[in-house]
Amino acid sequence: MFFFTYLARELRRRLRQAIFIALGLAIGVGLVLTVTAAAAGVKNAQAGVLQGLYGVGTDITVTGAAPSPPKGAQGPSSGKGTQITMGPNGAEICTNGKCHALKNGYTIDNLGSASYSPISATSVSKIAALKGVTAAAGGLLLTDNQTTISATPTQPTSFTVDGADISKPKLGPLSQAAVSSGRAFTAADANKNVALVDKNYAASKGLKVGGTIKIGGTAFTIIGLVAQAEGSSPPNVYVPLARAQAVATSGPTGGNLKNDVNTIYVTAAKSTDLATVQHEIAKLLPTAQITTPSSLASQVTGSLTSAAKLANDLGKWLSILVLIAAFAVAVLLTMAAVARRVREFGTLKALGWRGGRIIAQVMGESLAVGILGAAAGVGLGFAGAAIINAIAPSLSATLTQPTGLHMMTPNGAISPTTSHTVSVPMYASVGLTAIGVAVVLALAGGLLAGAFGSWRIGRLRPADAIAKVG
Amino acid sequence: MYELTSVSKVYHSGTRTVEAVKGVDLTIDDGAWIAIRGRTGHGKSTLLNLLGGLDRPTSGQLKLDGRDLGRLSDAELTRVRANAIGFVFQTFNLVPTLSAAENVEAALIPLHVSGAAERRRRVAAALDSVGLADRARHLPSELSGGQQQRVAIARALVKEPKVLLADEPTGNLDEETRDEIIALMEKLWRERGLTLILVSHDGAVVRRAQRLAIMTRGHLAVKTTEGPTRGGRS
Repeated sequence: MFFFTYLARELRRRLRQAIFIALGLAIGVGLVLTVTAAAAGVKNAQAGVLQGLYGVGTDITVTGAAPSPPKGAQGPSSGKGTQITMGPNGAEICTNGKCHALKNGYTIDNLGSASYSPISATSVSKIAALKGVTAAAGGLLLTDNQTTISATPTQPTSFTVDGADISKPKLGPLSQAAVSSGRAFTAADANKNVALVDKNYAASKGLKVGGTIKIGGTAFTIIGLVAQAEGSSPPNVYVPLARAQAVATSGPTGGNLKNDVNTIYVTAAKSTDLATVQHEIAKLLPTAQITTPSSLASQVTGSLTSAAKLANDLGKWLSILVLIAAFAVAVLLTMAAVARRVREFGTLKALGWRGGRIIAQVMGESLAVGILGAAAGVGLGFAGAAIINAIAPSLSATLTQPTGLHMMTPNGAISPTTSHTVSVPMYASVGLTAIGVAVVLALAGGLLAGAFGSWRIGRLRPADAIAKVG
Repeated sequence: MYELTSVSKVYHSGTRTVEAVKGVDLTIDDGAWIAIRGRTGHGKSTLLNLLGGLDRPTSGQLKLDGRDLGRLSDAELTRVRANAIGFVFQTFNLVPTLSAAENVEAALIPLHVSGAAERRRRVAAALDSVGLADRARHLPSELSGGQQQRVAIARALVKEPKVLLADEPTGNLDEETRDEIIALMEKLWRERGLTLILVSHDGAVVRRAQRLAIMTRGHLAVKTTEGPTRGGRS
């Protein structure tokens, strides 16, 4: 009881100094929390984008290596794959060396695996059997390109199609899509020409449930519309994997994909198993690309990545600097306070107080200031996060991917790419872990200050403290 | 009983060496009242610090009840101060944020007196013995110099020490208050069987002691005065 009475009285006596130290710690802690909240917001936004590509619950995504484009110098009939040559006298399409003339107004509808090379579907079960893997599902990420032949070449229109393994609904991009109208896939749909369409894409193209959509020249019945994460870059259309395999061609090589996938979604039993699983998959599929969501993040550009850099670099260092300054101020002021109380502590030693008891008293005072700083810092952190949410503009994330189409024009060869920019709302939120870390930091600041003060007390000889050499 | 044999205390300050106490031989019987007088800087307070276990002699033996204070560990010395020795300082040295009662209670902390009620009883009795029962809740800043010194005396006596050491206890007080404080200390000395060792350069104060010791450049010369005897009035 006496401990707390003495502690409270001392804090009241040095109220301004206690408030100053607590405020310094609070600013440091508040900044750490704000930066952490902002970083968490950016991370969540990134996760939203990445989940759109890989789906919830996927730890590792295996994709076939990106196919290399044909050399621009190659003639239309000399190379493999599908090539379109446009000229003043019309167009010509060559598939694996076989060429046909195309009339103006003719629409080429090609569903291809533009971005990834095919992987044998048997690899899915091999990966599923690896140690540390809980589930694996194959998929085909495809692009449907529709080009209308005309005298003046135009960019093809394209949309993305996901051939989804509907027997494993928890893996892949479809796992995070919610049916907003119509119905979801059922097992009976596995070999039917049915499709689920992203509701935003459907709205922009006037597509409705019960209508049809042409994919790779085949009409698919739209059985449902799906709502997907706003910040993600989801496929525009989902079709059963078997139908996608039947309709699609493997990009430039023009082969069919009947026994292939180009993406395998893998879930590991534990996050610590990821490296081992990744290594085993690399042995199984040496040419495949093995990606985790974090490695994919590096492919995202736009203000989202700028915000991530700002939060991670500038914010982190600013927080560290402010914390160091706050700790230094707390230490210096506590040492100054101890210096002013030398006579008091000397007197207590003369009364028979042990050094440890006096140190505990000073540490208690510092800890109390640290607690005040932590409480105020948490408040400032929430305020900082609220301010960020109020003033931060929406972030944008841009993903650029090849369409896989290679066109010869009078001006040379072009390989169009699709660029998908999404607006990502950022929500800075203060998590419990961050609060815990912030509180520990403030308390550490208080204890550090107390420790320096105590170091001085420990060296104090009572005779020096209270008496002059008479 | 104090037994000092060839006690010296040397301070080093850079290349300079100051011998504050030089070869002091002194015996102080239990219950005695000895005053130490001397000019400023001649070693009075240093000797008092040595007697109080606040400092250790550089050489010689300083025994309290047969225990050489110079050889005790820090923890043992702290225990001796906590149990056997009370201090009164010239500048009172009260903790400014604590009330009179809490300042007195501070002396009981190292004794681990169990029970808040028992601590309160002892504190109240100590304050009553110095005539400040009605000032228990006052802060030092709300008390006069004389009252503050009374609180300091109550703080020194609440643990019922064997020895009371007073370093210029009236140095900051006017004459009237000085006389009151000395009268109080004499009364407590008589009633409690204390060994009272008082440092002062005030002739009016030291004349009241049984024995007078003069410190001159670190050397101590003792003479018996016509001061009071326990149980009688001077």
